[in-house]
Amino acid sequence: MIKGQVIGGEIGKIVVRQKSDTEIELGELLIADTENGSKILFQCYDLLYGSQLSQQTLELVSGMKLEEDTDLDFMEPQLRNYSLAYLKPLLLIKENKASLCKSLPKFFSEIKELKKEDLKFITKPENAIYLGKMRSGSKRLDMDVMLKGDDIFSHHVLISGTTGRGKSVLVSNIIWNSLSQDYCGMLVLDPHDEYYGRNKLGMKDHPNKSKVVYYTSKNPPAGAKTLKINLKSIKPSHFSGVLELSDPQVHALYTYYKQYGEKWVESIILDKPIDVPGFHEGTIAVARRKLITTLDVRLKEGRLVCEGIFDYQAGESTIGDITRELQNGKVVIVDTSNFSGSVELLIGSMIASEAFKKYKHYNMEGTLKGKPVISIVLEEAPRVLGKEILERGQNIFSTIAREGRKFKVGLLAITQLPSLIPRDILANMNTKIILGIEMAQERQAIIESASQDLSDDNRNIASLDKGEAIVTSTFSRFATPIAIPFFDEEVKEYLAKNPAKKVKKDFAGINFN
Amino acid sequence: MKFAHMADCHVGSWRDPKLSWVSTEAFCRAIDFSIEKNVDFVLIAGDLFNNSVPGIDKIKIVAKKFRELRDKGIPVYVIAGSHDFSPTGKTMLDVLESADLMTNVTKGEVAGEKLKLKFTIDKKTGAKITGILGRRNMLERSYYESLDRESLEKEDGFKIFMFHMGINEFKPKNLQEVDCSSINILPKGFDYYAGGHVHTVMNQDVKGYGKIVYPGPLFPNSFHELEELNHGGFFIYEDGKTEFIPMKIFDTIHISIDCSGKIPDKIQQEAVDKINEAEIQHKIVTLRLSGKISHGKVSDIDLRGIVNLLYEKKAYFVMRNTSKLEAEGFEEIKIQHSSVEEIEEGLVKEHLGQVKIENVDINAEKKLIAGMMDMLSAEKNEGERVMDFEKRIREGVDRLIGE
Repeated sequence: MIKGQVIGGEIGKIVVRQKSDTEIELGELLIADTENGSKILFQCYDLLYGSQLSQQTLELVSGMKLEEDTDLDFMEPQLRNYSLAYLKPLLLIKENKASLCKSLPKFFSEIKELKKEDLKFITKPENAIYLGKMRSGSKRLDMDVMLKGDDIFSHHVLISGTTGRGKSVLVSNIIWNSLSQDYCGMLVLDPHDEYYGRNKLGMKDHPNKSKVVYYTSKNPPAGAKTLKINLKSIKPSHFSGVLELSDPQVHALYTYYKQYGEKWVESIILDKPIDVPGFHEGTIAVARRKLITTLDVRLKEGRLVCEGIFDYQAGESTIGDITRELQNGKVVIVDTSNFSGSVELLIGSMIASEAFKKYKHYNMEGTLKGKPVISIVLEEAPRVLGKEILERGQNIFSTIAREGRKFKVGLLAITQLPSLIPRDILANMNTKIILGIEMAQERQAIIESASQDLSDDNRNIASLDKGEAIVTSTFSRFATPIAIPFFDEEVKEYLAKNPAKKVKKDFAGINFN
Repeated sequence: MKFAHMADCHVGSWRDPKLSWVSTEAFCRAIDFSIEKNVDFVLIAGDLFNNSVPGIDKIKIVAKKFRELRDKGIPVYVIAGSHDFSPTGKTMLDVLESADLMTNVTKGEVAGEKLKLKFTIDKKTGAKITGILGRRNMLERSYYESLDRESLEKEDGFKIFMFHMGINEFKPKNLQEVDCSSINILPKGFDYYAGGHVHTVMNQDVKGYGKIVYPGPLFPNSFHELEELNHGGFFIYEDGKTEFIPMKIFDTIHISIDCSGKIPDKIQQEAVDKINEAEIQHKIVTLRLSGKISHGKVSDIDLRGIVNLLYEKKAYFVMRNTSKLEAEGFEEIKIQHSSVEEIEEGLVKEHLGQVKIENVDINAEKKLIAGMMDMLSAEKNEGERVMDFEKRIREGVDRLIGE
């Protein structure tokens, strides 16, 4: 269907007159044929009115209609008043191959509605992760948007959008899709306990649910694991970016670690002496108090009593187990809804450090190639990647953001406020999924660091409705508008297509007589 | 109420006759001690034998000890473990049970989709005992997933749950690679959870559960375990209190030499010095040499001479380990797994997915391989005709593939 005609403009800003009986939407994908048989894919980024009449005349006509209630109208109104659309060329498509468009379409080129066959050049990559349906304006196309999962996860993903725009739904979809394949292990720190689906549809319902490992501290359902972490697994570096500690307090922690080894936390809490002189009593006391509060431990008659997830007896292998599960391509969901933000980040920091260390080691011994990518899902990412936090010192998450891709460890960072994340870290996030953002400052931060040129898309991003997003990635040919499917509907459809296989139960060894 | 809780007796383990004797002797003494202490009953939480069809001499010893217990009116309650379970259900435990020498408490019925376990009630004390056997590669996990917990948790009285698997939350760091289950897999509300499988000693009161106890093996089952545990043991429970009873047949002594950067002669001398300083007589000696020697070959170290010296000093038995000893110019051989099971699991994991089988994903493939290995490792029973043996295996394999 013809939607308009090129009437002017310049490279990157093509002006199109809209055909009167059609409607071009902001963000809509359009196509134009060229003379040599190729096509140009456009996207609309702005709309405005056009008229053959002067503004004064239009105002006069409007006044007559409003004030004098006349039924005066234009002759052939579709020729006199119309809409103009600003389009930017996305790609030149020739014989199912796409390249950047470096020329203008011919004057009066017809601009048509996009059809599925126009996008034949988009093929399903290996280890594909499904993000949603291709979207043209507000219209959902019958075309799956998939990116190469191992590439995008190792090169970090940023999901940004205002509350209620569908970030959690998108993350749920991503996790669900990754469960069907083996190229990726995922660590999901889940502060709202929403992904496993304790009382609703969730990852526990996936036919491949043996790939899901769920750690929780509150009433673990059957098959879940109780989250217990041994105090001996904690190192002073794990508190970096997690706990606000002064330099002397940090030095005190390291001094205890040096002297008491893996029993350093116990030693500092039990107020054991250290050989290094010069520490102010108050410094150690404050550090001790912070540890006691964060780790939910207390002293009773000179003995350590553990009341939270940190324990001096149990959980010795938890961090190692989780790391092993991740490198076996499992999705590890850690329910952190019961903990403070700092405890959540401490757990994340411990696991991330161990996984990163392991993968660095595999890289050194040359065995990294066969390992799955590890992706760490991080809600409210500025808590550890924020400028203010990083000014106080680097932490494992910022290290992963900068170096992780070399070692197949990536972040899937979620935030409403991308502007709080330093530019160099944003630039390292090679895939960004942008949902509706109202605040101009936040839009600007994401536009400036996008993998494709989104400088004209400010309005487009502002107008993204619930469930609509733009994917910009170094691994996609253009900034792709997508419609995020509803998780529940998607799951129901998937389960209908892939019903769980009835497994005959074998109870060999049980005496049934 | 007073009972003994043993696990991982591994009667029939160790190829060397001297260590095999110690292992069996530990079992005999543990039974003697239980009789002496006049326990009400004995629990054995899996791996009584080192395999499902042990040698006649070992069966004879176990049968004799169980008869002694029976004569004293002390019943024995047992579950099969990953070593003495047979996928066909035919293990020597069946023979002992048929002879009324012990009771296998893994009894139940299938109600709908659920596995409903039955309790075995100890006549003297009224203790209600049930449990789930252990299988290789944690194949018993599906039993727990199908378990009717409600009926177990609702049952009143003093309840004991016997199990043969590791628990993640209490797994020590050195067993990190061992596949375990979360504590949540166990039914709640039992007074005593008699564990086996993990060769470590643990005794903890766990909120919502009760006492979760692992006695470890009666005698260490590998070089590494000898170094870690020195000796085995078991627990005696009496009216809410548990006491660990060490089974020390021989003392152990560990000689470890870091050979890094040293020449063979110096290593030799260091070993001799250490041996001369130590009290060796009637001890089991572990000799570990590790590191990269600076000159020459590993074979330049006169290990035989060192071992002979130890025997001259009247060591009961000498075990040596040079797996981490290497010479310059030789490539390091990485040994990532220590037990046969771990090596098997590692190899399986490494090769998963290479042959595409329709409708079989990686996890199902792993389960299928574990089941096949389990099935195909079954041995021909005594008196069983070759044809019957083949038929039994074929049917078992068919059943596995059919799943």
